Amino acid sequence: MASIARSSLLRQVASARPGFQQGVIANATRATAFHTTARRDLLPPLPQRVEGTVNDAAPIPEPSPSHGSYHWTFDRLVAGSLVPLTVAPFAAGSLNPTLDAILCATILIHSHTGFQNIIIDYIPQYRTPRARKFFMWGLNAATAVVGLALYEFETTDVGITETIKRIWKA
Amino acid sequence: MAALRSSASLLLGAASRPALRASAAVPAAVRGMAQVSDGQQQNMTASGDKPKLKTFQIYRWNPDTPTEKPKMQSYTLDLNKTGPMVLDALIRIKNELDPTLTFRRSCREGICGSCAMNINGTNTLACLCRIPPEDTAEMKIYPLPHTYVVKDLVPDLTQFYKQYKSIKPYLQRDTPAPDGKEYRQSRADRKKLDGLYECILCACCSTSCPSYWWNSEEYLGPAILLQSYRWLVDSRDEKTAQRKDALNNSMSLYRCHTILNCTRTCPKGLNPGLAIAQIKKEMAF
Repeated sequence: MASIARSSLLRQVASARPGFQQGVIANATRATAFHTTARRDLLPPLPQRVEGTVNDAAPIPEPSPSHGSYHWTFDRLVAGSLVPLTVAPFAAGSLNPTLDAILCATILIHSHTGFQNIIIDYIPQYRTPRARKFFMWGLNAATAVVGLALYEFETTDVGITETIKRIWKA
Repeated sequence: MAALRSSASLLLGAASRPALRASAAVPAAVRGMAQVSDGQQQNMTASGDKPKLKTFQIYRWNPDTPTEKPKMQSYTLDLNKTGPMVLDALIRIKNELDPTLTFRRSCREGICGSCAMNINGTNTLACLCRIPPEDTAEMKIYPLPHTYVVKDLVPDLTQFYKQYKSIKPYLQRDTPAPDGKEYRQSRADRKKLDGLYECILCACCSTSCPSYWWNSEEYLGPAILLQSYRWLVDSRDEKTAQRKDALNNSMSLYRCHTILNCTRTCPKGLNPGLAIAQIKKEMAF
């Protein structure tokens, strides 16, 4: 992957010198394709950048438990609580609307934090801060819309457990 | 004295010169540490062993000709004349076939971590990776994945070492030892460091981690987190709270998604995945 970034960087250097450019073109036709898959330069790796000198330690971020340990613990608690909440209506054999609403809310939070993790992983803050902001707010909006829809569904319709029970043909 | 010295040197010289000449006549190729000696080679060919040819495809990229794309170059060796490990084959290729092949190596016994590379799709140490003797398929050797390549099989580990420095990998303590001697530790406390202190920082695990591929600027990666845990559990260290604070953000530690490539690939058989899980557990409440 690094080779892609490097070649594009060098192309700029090469274009400055016409003689050199000829060599580049000749090489381009001669070189066999090393990457056999299609090239999609969605977020190509940048050329190497060393912050400070090579002997400086990498910067340590400010501690923020709400994005760190509290967030992780909350994530696990929500994920863990989904198991009994899913099983409860079938184990009890009856349907409680409050329990159903709690299940809905937990699934919503669970998927929200899950998508958040995906955004943090693949849209790096240091590199694409505006795209990160856009996607984070997009996710917030989507969660709000789904939350509203689930509220409507729970209050005016049969609720999520009953729906799955009805469409489940297995 | 002068007379004695000259006569002695005459005597010694007469005795030692032929020996010197004999040693000079030994071909320079014996220099490589991975080779079976010439006598044995002749014995093997004399006993009628067929040459066991094996092809190695090796990633080549030269910084002196940066416009040329990286390519795979094939080298064929007779395994009867090569040592058992991949590093032996690489050294033999460098000595006999292509002196421009570049790779790092030092101890050839899995204690320095220099020869970490991607062999047949697995990050491992070349010196600990056996050449499969019965398998005639080509072996593919690449540098560690998703690293900036310096040349051929040499990756740039600057960021890796900078991150290692950022976790302060040394004993931090303010109170002196009660008896003014060394800092003592119970056997149970010492046992907690087993499986952590053996890490040689070869970067096999970090460069096998997809999370580290995407976020190596901010995520510390399994090797560094294993070392972080090594200092967190050390009963003699007194800066545990500060060490935890340094990890308490969304990137440094929590980009680990328990993929466990690190544990699978570790050439020393350590378990960075477990160490990271322990850190998360310790920081949870």
